[in-house]
Amino acid sequence: MKAKVLALGLLLTAIPLFAHHGGSSLYDMSKEITVQATVTEFLWTNPHVEISLDAKDDKGKVRHWLLEASSPPVLVNRGWNRKSLEPGDIIKVTFNPSQRGASVGRFVKLVKADGTGL
Amino acid sequence: MRHPFCRSLVWLFGIIGFVSGCSGNRSEKPVSQTPDLSGIWLGKAIQSLSPSDPTGQKPGVEGDIPYTPWAIARMKSERPAFGVNQTFENTNDPALKFADPDGYPRASIHPMKFKIVQTPDAIYQLWEYNKSWREIALNRPHSKVPDISWFGESVGTWEGDTLVVDSIGFKDSTWLDPIGHPHTEDLHMIERIRRADPETLVFNFTFDDPKAYTKPWEGQLTFKLKNDGIMTETIYTISDELSFRQRFLNEKPNLPIRSGH
Repeated sequence: MKAKVLALGLLLTAIPLFAHHGGSSLYDMSKEITVQATVTEFLWTNPHVEISLDAKDDKGKVRHWLLEASSPPVLVNRGWNRKSLEPGDIIKVTFNPSQRGASVGRFVKLVKADGTGL
Repeated sequence: MRHPFCRSLVWLFGIIGFVSGCSGNRSEKPVSQTPDLSGIWLGKAIQSLSPSDPTGQKPGVEGDIPYTPWAIARMKSERPAFGVNQTFENTNDPALKFADPDGYPRASIHPMKFKIVQTPDAIYQLWEYNKSWREIALNRPHSKVPDISWFGESVGTWEGDTLVVDSIGFKDSTWLDPIGHPHTEDLHMIERIRRADPETLVFNFTFDDPKAYTKPWEGQLTFKLKNDGIMTETIYTISDELSFRQRFLNEKPNLPIRSGH
């Protein structure tokens, strides 16, 4: 029950209108990709918080992704902080992929291994 | 004073004087009725100040903004990172390309917070974004020769429950909003700021700028109270922008990037 309450409290959904770094000019907003991944870096930075992660593709090959989330004040309003993720965290993450096939994306949501959501 | 009658009179007058001093005959100092706009307020991520097109889907042809030919030409030349024609990689938005200050009212158009602090002589608006702030001087006129500045010079007076703010002296390189509505240094902005209910703050703008707009036009921003006491620092630097472009767009920076975050 506590995990569910925490998940609800930390739920982050995409903010479609705030996209000055990576809206539809960079990402395909009509698509979402969900992968099981390991966090390699979590940068609490401007202009947007960045999540680096490694995920296996459908052939078992590891692909490195770089995702941008919103800016720190926006995420703080939704319960994030600079320790919300740590390298090594196992997550299931959803994002809008790059328009050009690059290994970058716009963060939508994630669930940690313990069931808490961001 | 030996005569008992005289002593009695003295006592009587003394008592009368004491009671008068304790009575409510003195006029009470009036309680201030100045409305309270203070608090931490959260905005929304709209793209345009056009009332009919807040998401910036019809830039230049909204129908409710009376552009001059100069302003239309400016709108067509802008490459915002927002709205229907957004282009982040090639944007010429000065707030992104040069990390220029947003100016006003664009500073309020973020899904971020600002704090209003009221004093008897001025009202201060303090934004999370770029730790910007402006002062609204109360009950005094504009300077005879105001500076030309990013956030302009603002003076305000109370009309009932509404703070009426008169602002001039804006640097013309800023955009009024993320979609790129232009203005000149002659912009004269009037705001009517009112706490519509305990948790809602409404700003009604009138933009009067004859070179840019054939007549004054109006816009509105609404904010919700978020008094959790937390104001977060987010300062946008050119180094952050170059680092983002290098990491996400593989662009080689043309300046050294500060290492670390």
